Amino acid sequence: MRWLRIVHRMLLAVPVAAGVAVLAFFSLHLLPGDPVQIMLGDTNTSGATIKTLRHELHLDRPLHVQLTLFFAQLAHGDLGTSIVQHRPVAALIAEALPATIELTVATVAVAVLIAVPMGLLSALRPRSWVDRAVLSTSLLGASMPAFWFGLLLILFFAVNARLLPTSGQIDPAIAVPPVTGFLLIDGVLARSGAAVASTLRHLVLPSLTLGVVFAAVLARTVRSSMMDVLHRRYVTTARAKGLPETAVVIKHALRNALIPALTVAGLQIGELLGGNMIVETVFAWPGLGRLVVGSIFARDYLVVQAAVMLYAITYVAANLAVDVAYTVLDPRMEGA
Amino acid sequence: MAQRALVAAVAAVLGVALLGGTRGHAARALSFVLDTTPNRATEAQAIAAQLGGAGINAQVRVWQLSVLIPQIQAGQRAVYTTDWGSAYFDPYDLAVPKFVTKARGNFSFYSNAAVDHDMAVASGTPNEAQRRAAYLDAQRKIYGDAPWVFGYVLRNIEAESSAVSGWVPAADNSETMYPAAVRGADTITMGMRNDAIAPLDPGLPPNDREAVLRNIFDALVGHTPDGKVVPQLATSWRRVGPAAYDFALRPGVKFQNGDPVTADDVVFTFQRVLTPGAISGYSSTRKDLLGPILRVQKLDDSHVRFVYSATFPEALVLQSLVHFQIVPQKYVQQAGEGGFIAKPVGAGPFRFVRGALNSEIVLERYDGYWGGPAKVRQVIFRMLPEPSGRIAALLSGEVHVIQEVPPDLVDRLKTNPNVQVRTAEGTRSYEIEFNTKAEPFNDPRVRQALNYAVNWDPILRDIYHGYGTRLSTAFLPNGFGYDPALKPYPYDPAKARELLRQAGY
Repeated sequence: MRWLRIVHRMLLAVPVAAGVAVLAFFSLHLLPGDPVQIMLGDTNTSGATIKTLRHELHLDRPLHVQLTLFFAQLAHGDLGTSIVQHRPVAALIAEALPATIELTVATVAVAVLIAVPMGLLSALRPRSWVDRAVLSTSLLGASMPAFWFGLLLILFFAVNARLLPTSGQIDPAIAVPPVTGFLLIDGVLARSGAAVASTLRHLVLPSLTLGVVFAAVLARTVRSSMMDVLHRRYVTTARAKGLPETAVVIKHALRNALIPALTVAGLQIGELLGGNMIVETVFAWPGLGRLVVGSIFARDYLVVQAAVMLYAITYVAANLAVDVAYTVLDPRMEGA
Repeated sequence: MAQRALVAAVAAVLGVALLGGTRGHAARALSFVLDTTPNRATEAQAIAAQLGGAGINAQVRVWQLSVLIPQIQAGQRAVYTTDWGSAYFDPYDLAVPKFVTKARGNFSFYSNAAVDHDMAVASGTPNEAQRRAAYLDAQRKIYGDAPWVFGYVLRNIEAESSAVSGWVPAADNSETMYPAAVRGADTITMGMRNDAIAPLDPGLPPNDREAVLRNIFDALVGHTPDGKVVPQLATSWRRVGPAAYDFALRPGVKFQNGDPVTADDVVFTFQRVLTPGAISGYSSTRKDLLGPILRVQKLDDSHVRFVYSATFPEALVLQSLVHFQIVPQKYVQQAGEGGFIAKPVGAGPFRFVRGALNSEIVLERYDGYWGGPAKVRQVIFRMLPEPSGRIAALLSGEVHVIQEVPPDLVDRLKTNPNVQVRTAEGTRSYEIEFNTKAEPFNDPRVRQALNYAVNWDPILRDIYHGYGTRLSTAFLPNGFGYDPALKPYPYDPAKARELLRQAGY
């Protein structure tokens, strides 16, 4: 029963992605600016050459024909070729996506490691100094611009202390044969300790930058739902059974308190998987955010359309994952 | 709809009231919108404030460049900041496209038959003295017509670690790492300003990746960092007819895969660019850089002939050929276009090892290079799009050279003894253009008045920290045919007021 529902929800992502692609297509074409003109800038190019290139890129066709062409290609599993980069869109996304996923996973790890203990501590001691400290730190974390915080971390840990690298995904002197595109996995596959260590070191600062902001939001959610749960009768029952306090808090209270936190986390993860252009730029992280924003500025229509479809699918999948996780945490949700 | 009409009506009433208020005392006040892009917004605000002091009402509006340009081209804007870079150290790629009637970069809709004639002479006469005379004449005419508020050229500001020697910043940002060395290391790493560079195919449009390309590939001739042409794969050349040049190839040169560089490779390189749809089904946009070329033909294994449809001066032939790196015919045909882009092979001092266009590119010394092996064993280009990130990488020792240091950060870098700031004269003119077809900017007195009314010195001093040089027109000091005797419009508000008064303001 559960599997049927998951498949059903996944199938729903298809029309959502198509609809979003159509919307992206029209909104991009509504923007003034021509990709060929932008790409050529002030290079010495004749009108005839520009016309030829526009023709070769199908940019001289009516909009509905261009859209039909896009879907016809898509039906053959082809996302088309980037106007600016002259490379298959699928290859560009396949290059950028693993970098963004790696950063997202690391960010979630950082956020959970910070947020859950913080939220837990402050819920257990409401209105204590711990609680106040957690609340004010999380306010600071949530309102801090990631750009500024990232630069601060670079200055402190990379330039002054020289403990960590300033930017990039791996020391460029280390060659890792690409297998999956995920540097960490490829490093393990290549049995290169140096590659794995370098990748991990490069992950620290960007994931901390994104993770602190994420943790700030998450910690507040964990705190409030934990406080709510701690006053429930089943917690009292658990205590009355004579269970040790740790078991009460971890097994009975936290597990239930995590459900609202999961919803918040799911949305945040969906957003993170889109790639954060600003943080990716500061840390020269070759992720999806930079690719997409760059493509919007360049009016690289096909790249943006493909990315937007990917975003739609990611959101549907992230929401689905959250729903599945609900049922694991709370079996009553199974039929809901 | 009704709402929009209401808003429009209110705006109209307010507008009339405001204009009426300012018009009271004298004639009409000159009033316009100054359109600009985010990178020049501060400058535009400063100019608007200066003009305000002179009784001219300029409102700054900031646009995204790709949105503003089509409106300019459609004649819908009146006054706008623009810039244009030159790929040649000759006005052929700057003044010609910007000032010739209906040329591609002529955003001011400027048209002067005498200037068109001068430019045609300069682009189509082999005689250098005649070319120079034509350019000098054109400059004076353009200066007087004042189709723009003439602006400035900025220096390229780059920085290197003090361990680096031999590296020289280039005017066009495409420096080679061939002469560079690093004390105590055999790898030099450069932090590039790009998010991602386009594929390493010399047939694709020229852009920022030239810096990488010129390390992998050699052309028939190359540039020194300040724009002087030097032999590369060609050792000599001569004009053999009114519109033909013969080039002799350097003997014994081999591509990085061991294949010899022959006349066939040269012919193939240019055919690939000139034949429509030859690069994976697309036409090369680089071909217009070649001028009025008809064909490139093989004379024998080591000689090629370039045939043009009209006289094309030798200086321009050479400046254009710098942009056409020679590719190996056999390898490109065997590997296919996709294979060539994935692993480019050239005859330059470094060979491609691996890399991703959005993160880093690793090159290794090619020991068989015709000029002798380079000093460093490895060159790494890293994409570091954020200026503070580039500087951090330089300060932490991760990279040795960085491109594009923002002028306001130069002073901070200068205090660091391990880092040196290096600059080179740029090849891009920054200016304010008028729509010379529209009122009131179809009146040259108004345009001249605005040239007198803008005080560039504090702008170059405070916004660009002294890294800019005024231009009298759009002819660059490091390009051919520049007239040093023609001085930029001085700041003279009284003269500006007088000219405006004559024009009825």
